[in-house]
Amino acid sequence: MTEAQYGVRQGARTGDPRAPRWSEGVVSRRSALLGGVAAVTAPWLLAACGDSGGSPQAAAATGTAQKGGTMHIARPPASNAETLDPASSLSAYEYLGALYSRLVKQAADGTATPDLATHWESTPDSLKWTFTLRDGVKFHNGKAFTSADAAYTLAHILDPATKSPQAGVLSPFLDKSGIATPDARTLVVTLKSPNAEFVSLLMNYNCYVIPADSASTIGTTGIGTGPFQLVSFKAAGKGSVKANADYFGGKPNLDTIEFTAIADVQARVNALLAGQVDLVAQTNLDYATSKTVAASTIATTATVKNAEWYVLPMLCKLAPFTDVNVRQAFKLAYQPQEVLDLAVHGRGTVANNNPVIPTDAYYLDYKVTPDPEKAKSLLQAAGLLAKGQDLYTSSYDSVLTPMALAYQSSAKKAGVTINVKTAAADSYYTDVWIKKPMCASYWYTGRPIDQLLNQIFRGGSSYNETLWSDATFASALDAARKEPDQAKRKQHYQDAQKILVDSSGTIVPFFADRTVGLSKKVVNYTEYGFEFDYVNIGFRQ
Amino acid sequence: MLLRTILRRIGYALLTMVLASLLVFTALQALPGDLATQLLGRDATPSAVAQLRATLHLDRPAWRRYLDWLGGALHGDFGRSLVSHQSVLDEAGRYLRNTVLLAAIVIVVGITLSVALGVVAGVLRDRWPDLTISGLSLIGMSVPEFTVSTLLVLVFAVRLGWFPAVVTDGPDATVGELMHVIWLPAAALIVVMAAYIIRMMRTSVIDVLGSEYVTAARIRGLSGTRVLFRHALPNALLPTLNVIAINIAWLVGGVVVVESIFNYPGIGTLMLRAVHDRDLPVLQFIAVLGAATFVACNLLADLAATWLNPRLRTPGRAA
Repeated sequence: MTEAQYGVRQGARTGDPRAPRWSEGVVSRRSALLGGVAAVTAPWLLAACGDSGGSPQAAAATGTAQKGGTMHIARPPASNAETLDPASSLSAYEYLGALYSRLVKQAADGTATPDLATHWESTPDSLKWTFTLRDGVKFHNGKAFTSADAAYTLAHILDPATKSPQAGVLSPFLDKSGIATPDARTLVVTLKSPNAEFVSLLMNYNCYVIPADSASTIGTTGIGTGPFQLVSFKAAGKGSVKANADYFGGKPNLDTIEFTAIADVQARVNALLAGQVDLVAQTNLDYATSKTVAASTIATTATVKNAEWYVLPMLCKLAPFTDVNVRQAFKLAYQPQEVLDLAVHGRGTVANNNPVIPTDAYYLDYKVTPDPEKAKSLLQAAGLLAKGQDLYTSSYDSVLTPMALAYQSSAKKAGVTINVKTAAADSYYTDVWIKKPMCASYWYTGRPIDQLLNQIFRGGSSYNETLWSDATFASALDAARKEPDQAKRKQHYQDAQKILVDSSGTIVPFFADRTVGLSKKVVNYTEYGFEFDYVNIGFRQ
Repeated sequence: MLLRTILRRIGYALLTMVLASLLVFTALQALPGDLATQLLGRDATPSAVAQLRATLHLDRPAWRRYLDWLGGALHGDFGRSLVSHQSVLDEAGRYLRNTVLLAAIVIVVGITLSVALGVVAGVLRDRWPDLTISGLSLIGMSVPEFTVSTLLVLVFAVRLGWFPAVVTDGPDATVGELMHVIWLPAAALIVVMAAYIIRMMRTSVIDVLGSEYVTAARIRGLSGTRVLFRHALPNALLPTLNVIAINIAWLVGGVVVVESIFNYPGIGTLMLRAVHDRDLPVLQFIAVLGAATFVACNLLADLAATWLNPRLRTPGRAA
């Protein structure tokens, strides 16, 4: 085979299933292979031998961090072919926030706040967007950051050869010809169709800014404008970054961060318990393990509120879910609080079938109260009362099966008979998801609302896991994109949420908190959505 | 005669390796999904999958792909990893070096220790050293390696802090770096492997010590140690050799679990990743390697048995 063919292969590796932050994979599939063996045995062994009684801590410790120090972070490798190119689906996620900056980043309420862009505005029709860029910012190689770099970054994401997952989000209304740089401090983006929420789509972790003309090298050089600069990096191996004293957001507390790739979840936790690492990144500790970590003398746990939303998608194109009344019956049949308590020991928030996070500025506080009696009569009318429904799950993620069983038990009172079927974790997202009428799945909560609703719920999107297609829902989303007035736009997004709760094929029982393991020495650990605060994190004085 | 035996055995060995590679290939075909669907994941639209399959030549018939691979392998060309695009020999070589280091320590320390303990238990039959050794080795036999590993981590890494719990270095770690971290994974493998060898050695020492020629040697006035080391031990080792060989071959499999638990950058870790990615060339190579190890261990055990046993060593007089 020729080199050219290998080049094509490399480019073709879009949307690796394990690209965890995008959609999935707190437990990478690789570790799921052995996770069955190790994860089942290890937690109780450790728990049985550990000091009993420690309880998970609500929030990470805060305080004045000492200046300097080296933090060791364990991380799940994305693949043997990991890269530092932020636009790639195989990016080594934990490095990105340390090395790079975006034009805008996400605030706690989900809205965009300045990063490399200090100010932005659009024409009233939401078509032409003008960004004013930060002055005096330098890349780690000393080169000044200008609008040319910002323009190049957008073009790189849109380039089909990059195969960036974010290209599918941006390309419907943006192509390369719409990007202009009138001067070094100004970036002008002209959209093909109006999008008042355009800026929020640039908060994504694929949108970190890279230097102009660096597409072929960025994967190994990692040159950005972020708080840390690269010292070394090995795919699926070790790497380190050192503080960037010139960072525009202020010099970070830490001198150095050393990253270690550990595929097995239990091995990652063991490294923490043995004091080899200070933080276990992108790993949700299951209940037993979190107890063990909390009981340790050197480690503790912190909670990332509502880090994932869990979902039971019902395929609207397959019987019996073609009938909106059946979908409604399945939503009315269960008690979300019961499922939350059973599946994740209450560590999360009830979602009432709405995937929009309650802290989002556009969130609609709307729910249809569970009503087993009504569910029963709806099922009776559809002739499904005694019929069993298969619900597929797998060990891909530790919460999927508990959630399926909890739903089964909660919905039983409404006469819904669920047969929980376990499929292979390895091929779950290729053979079960969007193939079987009903399954268990989950997503990260970092998506801005416009991306969330358009990407996962709109007819025609390849991520639409229920194949639900609703014209009024789609027109509400289009109206929102066209609406420059924020209050009115909020109304449109809230209309869309109501339609979604009432008639979509999506059961969202709860948002689950992520329990993170970290050393007791660590202060100011802050993480939400796809944001990680690398500047303020440090060691206790 | 001996040469002919060896040649015949090598012929069988090659056949075993081809069969092993065929088995792995077939098993992978039976698994749901292939490299294309694994790589694309949630982005696997039918057209994207078809396009990627064509690029990877996965659209060709399975037998054709197997024969292509076999043809290359016979010429020493094991292809390139479908994921990293590196030559399989280079990639596997980097991981293999680490596993060989681990295996060498396990074999040298493990076999010496277990043969010695087996002899002690056999000679001091039913006294307290025997009861202790036999009891512990029974436990070692019964507890699977992932439990042993977890317990070792719990006690020696988490509680006592004497050793690191996991290996934080990647496959390119220097031997010096690995020497700091190799002891717990090595201990886990030794515990499980030693148990069988100790039991076998003890039984065969007891058998030999009860045999007539040992009694005869004693009656002739030979010293106890001379009887033990000159006459009893070589014969007692014979049946143990096969157990040792099988245990070394077992290492190839046991190492997968233990390496994963300790994040040890060896061939087992590479194999797990290759299975996950459906990275066929890497997996085929590891399968052939495993089969080769198995066959080689057994061949060496047979040769060693010939060397230890005069009746097999002398041509013509063997039955």
